[in-house]
Amino acid sequence: MPALMMQPDLSNLVVSGPVRNAARTAWQQHGWPGPRVESWRFTKLDRLGARDITPASSLSPTTAGDGLAMAQGMGAHAIRIINGIIDPASLEALPTGLTAGNLHDDQDAQDAMMALAPPDHPISNLSMAVMSGGLVLDVAGEVPKSLALIFEGDDASLSAHPVVLIRLAPAARMVMAEWHQSAVGLSAPLIGLDLAKKASLDFVKIQTEDSATSHLSATGVLLAEKARLAGFSLSVGGEMARLETHVTMAGEGADCQLSAIYLGRGRQHHDITTVLNHDIGHCTSDQVIRGVLDDRARGVYQGKVRVAKDAQKTDGQQMSRALLLSRKAEVDAKPELEIYADDVVCAHGATVGELDATQLFYLTSRGIPEANARAMLIEAFLIDAIDSVEIDSLSKILLNVATQWMAQTGLTSHGD
Amino acid sequence: MTALLEVRNLYASVGDKPILKGINLSLNAGEVHAIMGPNGSGKSTMSYVLAGRDGYEITGGDVLINGDSVLELSPDERARAGMFLAFQYPVELPGVGGMSFLRAAVNARRLEAGENEVDQLAFVKMVRAKAGELGISDDMLKRAVNVGFSGGEKKRYEILQMALLEPSIGILDETDSGLDVDALKIVSDGVNMLRAPERTMLVITHYQRLLNHIVPDHVHILADGKIRKSGGKELALEVEESGYAGIDDAA
Ligand SMILES: Nc1ncnc2c1ncn2[C@@H]1O[C@H](COP(=O)(O)OP(=O)(O)OP(=O)(O)O)[C@@H](O)[C@H]1O
Ligand SMILES: [Mg+2]
Repeated sequence: MPALMMQPDLSNLVVSGPVRNAARTAWQQHGWPGPRVESWRFTKLDRLGARDITPASSLSPTTAGDGLAMAQGMGAHAIRIINGIIDPASLEALPTGLTAGNLHDDQDAQDAMMALAPPDHPISNLSMAVMSGGLVLDVAGEVPKSLALIFEGDDASLSAHPVVLIRLAPAARMVMAEWHQSAVGLSAPLIGLDLAKKASLDFVKIQTEDSATSHLSATGVLLAEKARLAGFSLSVGGEMARLETHVTMAGEGADCQLSAIYLGRGRQHHDITTVLNHDIGHCTSDQVIRGVLDDRARGVYQGKVRVAKDAQKTDGQQMSRALLLSRKAEVDAKPELEIYADDVVCAHGATVGELDATQLFYLTSRGIPEANARAMLIEAFLIDAIDSVEIDSLSKILLNVATQWMAQTGLTSHGD
Repeated sequence: MTALLEVRNLYASVGDKPILKGINLSLNAGEVHAIMGPNGSGKSTMSYVLAGRDGYEITGGDVLINGDSVLELSPDERARAGMFLAFQYPVELPGVGGMSFLRAAVNARRLEAGENEVDQLAFVKMVRAKAGELGISDDMLKRAVNVGFSGGEKKRYEILQMALLEPSIGILDETDSGLDVDALKIVSDGVNMLRAPERTMLVITHYQRLLNHIVPDHVHILADGKIRKSGGKELALEVEESGYAGIDDAA
């Protein structure tokens, strides 16, 4: 038992119901992954395990931050989740088609959540056991308004463990943004997305946590027949961030776009980990990953596409490209294919490069200042990924956050 | 009279290899100078060094705009001081939209001059008009910079940029290569329109043909990193007829 990495200790935590009790037991048994666990080879949690953080237990007032402005900008209904706890006020006047329930009281939903949750992931156990806040959202029909989930929190001695299960009924459609902007010690959201037949979800996840925050999110997705998920993560904030998503395609004709951009500077560590299970044939998945790293930042992309024996006619694509702006920045990209079927179209690739000196010279020779020229080339590097996002309000958010990141290093593509 | 562009005994090397070996040139406002010379003689290197590209060691001499040395200036500073280089091989910029590229370049210059940024609509109109004169389609303007352009289209796009930036010093590195006869005429007309009393141009070419369209005031022969011979426009004809053999002894 990795006793050293037991933070936080849940032995005295009172937990109700069999699902959360099982999660608590599993957490007490396994804790954080040890140094030899392959899927955590590039992202070490030693510092996190040694840190003194207490699971949050109450709402506290926080500063509004950019999340609400983003929600307003896209005309979305905002649900605020503060220290991992759902703000009850934001569950009032939900858009048509949305029904909210309390996950604390719903054993069936907890079961369903655990079935979706990334297996063997520390946050699946820890956050299910602690469950600072638990929300079930049922979605039916075409939701007329976008949904924004805003994760906040101001206390660095706390860890936040919200658990959110979103279930889309057959043919339901929704546009959603997750916005993580907390300044807690550990932000550990556990999220489940369950899409029934022909349901469609467009979503972005923006990770812009405080620079001292560790962000470990675990997301589980289930796609039924002809369900469609178009997801895009942008990881910018945090001291260390791992965004892990597991998708299971369980019905023919399911389509999963799961792309990500990570932007790192200083000593930031960004990890994008995905597992895509093609359990059945005739499904498509596509992952476009772009990373930009400056200073001594480190980036990790681990993407596994697993094609089951009978999953014929699978189309699974993954492409990771990283741009290093500094010689001390580092990237580990590991796209993986595990194919047991024989009639599939799968491809993967990974590249790492620097800004092209000739392109930079061409731009500066036109009078464009070097910082702007660099920003233009970085934006160009990211733009095809962002352009693939079909919903304008979502691609606009991605572009804004990326542009802001560049402005913070004095890189701006549009003059001073 | 101070020359608009003066190259004074310029030496430059790449690594240990000397490429420019004491170049002297003096370009006054209103003049067009042509440079001819064999492959590998250092013409493009000279144009890059003038524009301030990294990777060359300046081992001697100076480059002055209006009497001020620009060797310490970065490429963008030199550009905003009035220098423009039309590349022999224009660079593709996938993902960089043509219009925003042109606007960024023009705005950089305007900000330097203490002017406001261009009005977007007026700018698009102006670009379309100038592009039309150079036979550049709207479709090309919408694409990423130089991406999917033919060789000749790239050259026209260089001249479009020059027309928009209105530099005081235009350096054209083999703008004629890759152009068909009609395009050569269009591009030359574009360059001739930019001839002005306050401007100078340095036209690098292998062919007398271009100089029929853009008639130079002076012609220089660059060979092995040095100007070996200078003369009037008839020097180009001489080269066309008898090649570069024998140029050396004339130096
Ligand atoms: N980066 C470099 N590294 C090494 N050698 C170089 C480099 N750049 C140029 N050279 C050499 O310097 C010499 C001059 O090259 P340059 O491109 O300036 O010639 P040019 O006169 O423009 O030729 P062309 O008529 O073929 O365009 C050539 O021998 C070339 O190989
Ligand atoms: Mg050349």
